[in-house]
Amino acid sequence: MPTTTLNSKSPRTGGASQGCKWVFLLLLGGVLLSGCGASRAATPESFFQLSPESAKHKAQQTRTFETSQEKELLSASAAVLQDLGFQIKESASDLGILRAMKERGAREYGQEIAQVFIMILGLFAQDVFIIPVDVHQQIAATLATRPVEGDTSKFTVRIIFHRIVWQGHGEAGDNHIAPGGQWMEMIHDPKIYQQFFAKLSKSVFLEAHQI
Amino acid sequence: MNGRKKILVLIGLVFFLQACVGAPKPPKELLSLNESQMKIRSYQSRTFDIKDQQKVMRGVVAALQDLGFIVERANGPMGLVTAGKFAGSGHSGFVELTVTVRSKGESRVEVRVNAIINTRPIEDPKIYQSFFTAVQRSLFLPG
Repeated sequence: MPTTTLNSKSPRTGGASQGCKWVFLLLLGGVLLSGCGASRAATPESFFQLSPESAKHKAQQTRTFETSQEKELLSASAAVLQDLGFQIKESASDLGILRAMKERGAREYGQEIAQVFIMILGLFAQDVFIIPVDVHQQIAATLATRPVEGDTSKFTVRIIFHRIVWQGHGEAGDNHIAPGGQWMEMIHDPKIYQQFFAKLSKSVFLEAHQI
Repeated sequence: MNGRKKILVLIGLVFFLQACVGAPKPPKELLSLNESQMKIRSYQSRTFDIKDQQKVMRGVVAALQDLGFIVERANGPMGLVTAGKFAGSGHSGFVELTVTVRSKGESRVEVRVNAIINTRPIEDPKIYQSFFTAVQRSLFLPG
């Protein structure tokens, strides 16, 4: 109870500090008692709502091909992903779905320099601070083909790239930070998508049209 | 000193009261359907006036992609899609979805979805509503 000790030591004794204590205790009690209520994980509605950027991302990730041969399009996509070093992890040809993945190192000079810099700063404070840096990443692609509504001679291909990054170990004072902390991001770099679709259209001898 | 004792007693009381959360007991209705489960099921499902089950499946997959989900597994004949998403922007955890798409009668298809966040089921009807809105949009149906 650091706050309580601080208050009792404060020179302003009497009503004010006593009142503070009560407020603090009431708050604490309230927080603890709230556990008694129906516990429901707070789920932000935004998880299932289209974000304002979703249309932009969709356009970036989708191309239309003038072909009725979906299987051809899918197998060509798989081949392109293979060329890009991905391993195919899941496929459902009846739904036009592919999921592929590749593992890569995620070390970056910037982060390691920051790590050393903060370690040196920590020496002045006579404490060890090693911030965890990214060490490994998994780059994944999920692809789905879909016939264009009302036009069976055209198919859209949508691919989404994302990556999961694992962090190494770290230390903050006496506390060890275990390795394995992870974070994830969707990849929205237009170049990556352009590159993929350029390769795909070359491989099926068809032009990739923007939606 | 007296004040300090009071505080200690109060803190003790607070911890004591915390026990009203209760020791975990296996729920009696573990495998039986109760009313609330029926209610949950009702807002986890929606029927669409579309004949083609595969078309709805593709619509679901496209809606999931729109929402930024990663399709992990899909099985066309069984009408199953599993997808996941890292809860970004200030929230930690992982959201997982299982969607089943089944033909219901001659001309309708039922979509059922279960969502969990960090291994806990999501029971908020609004969440499911927005999911179905996305599916509807992706199937080009009027909202």
